[in-house]
Amino acid sequence: MSDLMIEITQLSRFYDRKKVLDQINLEVKRGEVMGFLGPNGAGKTTTLRILAGLLAPNEGSVRIAGIDIMEQPVAARTKIGFLPESPPLYDEMTVREYLVYLAQLRQVPSQQVNQAVDRAMDRCGLTAVANRLLRNLSKGYRQRCGIAQAIVHSPEVVILDEPTVGLDPIQIREIRGLIRELGGDHSVILSTHILPEVQMTCNRVALIHNGRIVLQDSLEGLERHARRERGYRICWEHPPDEALLRGIAGIAEVSGDGTVWSVIPLASADPIPELVRQSVAHGWGLRELTPVTQSLEEIFVRLATQEN
Amino acid sequence: MLRPIVTIALREWRSMFLSPLAWTLIGVLFAIVSYMFVGAISRYHEQQFAYGSFGGGASQLPLTDMVVAPMFGNVAVLLLLVLPLITMRLLADEKRHGSWPALASSPITAGQIVLGKYGGLLLFLMMSVGLLSLPAWLLFGFGHPDGGQILSGLIGLLLVSATFGAIGLAASSATDNPMVAAITTFGMLLLLWIASWTGEAAGDRIEKILSYLSLINHYENFLKGVISSADLSYFLLCSAAGLLYARQRLVTERISA
Repeated sequence: MSDLMIEITQLSRFYDRKKVLDQINLEVKRGEVMGFLGPNGAGKTTTLRILAGLLAPNEGSVRIAGIDIMEQPVAARTKIGFLPESPPLYDEMTVREYLVYLAQLRQVPSQQVNQAVDRAMDRCGLTAVANRLLRNLSKGYRQRCGIAQAIVHSPEVVILDEPTVGLDPIQIREIRGLIRELGGDHSVILSTHILPEVQMTCNRVALIHNGRIVLQDSLEGLERHARRERGYRICWEHPPDEALLRGIAGIAEVSGDGTVWSVIPLASADPIPELVRQSVAHGWGLRELTPVTQSLEEIFVRLATQEN
Repeated sequence: MLRPIVTIALREWRSMFLSPLAWTLIGVLFAIVSYMFVGAISRYHEQQFAYGSFGGGASQLPLTDMVVAPMFGNVAVLLLLVLPLITMRLLADEKRHGSWPALASSPITAGQIVLGKYGGLLLFLMMSVGLLSLPAWLLFGFGHPDGGQILSGLIGLLLVSATFGAIGLAASSATDNPMVAAITTFGMLLLLWIASWTGEAAGDRIEKILSYLSLINHYENFLKGVISSADLSYFLLCSAAGLLYARQRLVTERISA
């Protein structure tokens, strides 16, 4: 069997003649966590809804674990678990009832339903609230229930639409940990517009903008790309002359307003040790030296705006 | 094939009884029906008395025709008024409250979803109709009603409510707003109920069509104790049409939404 768990080919989708997805291609392999990035309205949710079988594509094909979702929709849907933007809960049910119900609908054999539900609750930290009504749960727990229903039948592909939106920082950290854990046995595709989330949870990234995939790369590939443009933010007590800084070997660009300076090194050189040595030797009073970590974001912003 | 239908039906049925709506409706209907029943009994009593004193002697007026049939007729009207409030939630609520993706991304067909929802509704209807027909059986305690006719009326009532339910389900599949579904259902049921009203003015052939469409014409036969395949097929056709529409709605929604 092929290792491609999600295979999107030339996929297009229209809403009232407006092209929301324009011939996108996307691949996710077994065990990968793919971050699906893009500004609001770029087509992330539409793509994920098509993957989950909620929307039909107008053109192109989608295969889940090798099964075409248009030709064999029911067979393809046994392979997926889907968390939409807001968790799909029945407020009048308890956590356990809800998960048992969905496990049954998703063809978990009767004898294994309880075991599957216990496992999903355990993974998502829901065991303590198993018998509480979904209506009475806090937002963080509701989101966990949403994830639990997406994995209760151990699908090969897990589709998460903005899984951490609206959660507090502690909950976000827990959910991210859970997603990292999911990769490995499941293939995960998650949409987000938060970059650090991708850095923390994913090993591959795709960027969608105006209905087109403008970038698809591994996270390491991207970071390599980003490092090349990465600069440093520097503060001195007694800032030196700008010309003096430019004189240091390996520095490509210097700019500053007198208190905060920005130094961008040449791609092939590392001028920092020399810079620090000179700071000490001349008594400039080095206060701060920080690598600028914004550049991944800048790459995305640039890619997103280029397409316009 | 059958397992998801049963799973959905049982959940739907349970969730109806977890909400106060179903309980309130059954309670209120039962109170109204009991009140009407008492009224019908005392009217019957008066008429029997008058009949006896005008030379009817010891023979009895037809108890079932005069008490049970009108009561079942009234129950159908009451169901026409309140069932839209039950059926409106079936599919519209799933979409409104966002639980729909959990169903739609599961390995089940639109047909199974519709049949499951309908199955849950039928369970609920059988319970409520059974409960609402209880007063009729009380008559055995102090008279000689026609058991066969009561049973025929009960079957008719079940078929009427099943038809109402299928139409309600169809309306609920077409919108994500339960109130819109309720009003649409109510309008359609009422039209079906009174379809023959304009018949005479519309000319011979149309009158025939309208009188066939009219639900009350078919229901009345059941109340008289007549179970005919023509009436049976009318109710089955109406229900099937509702279910097929709902299924089609769910299928095309993936394409047009």
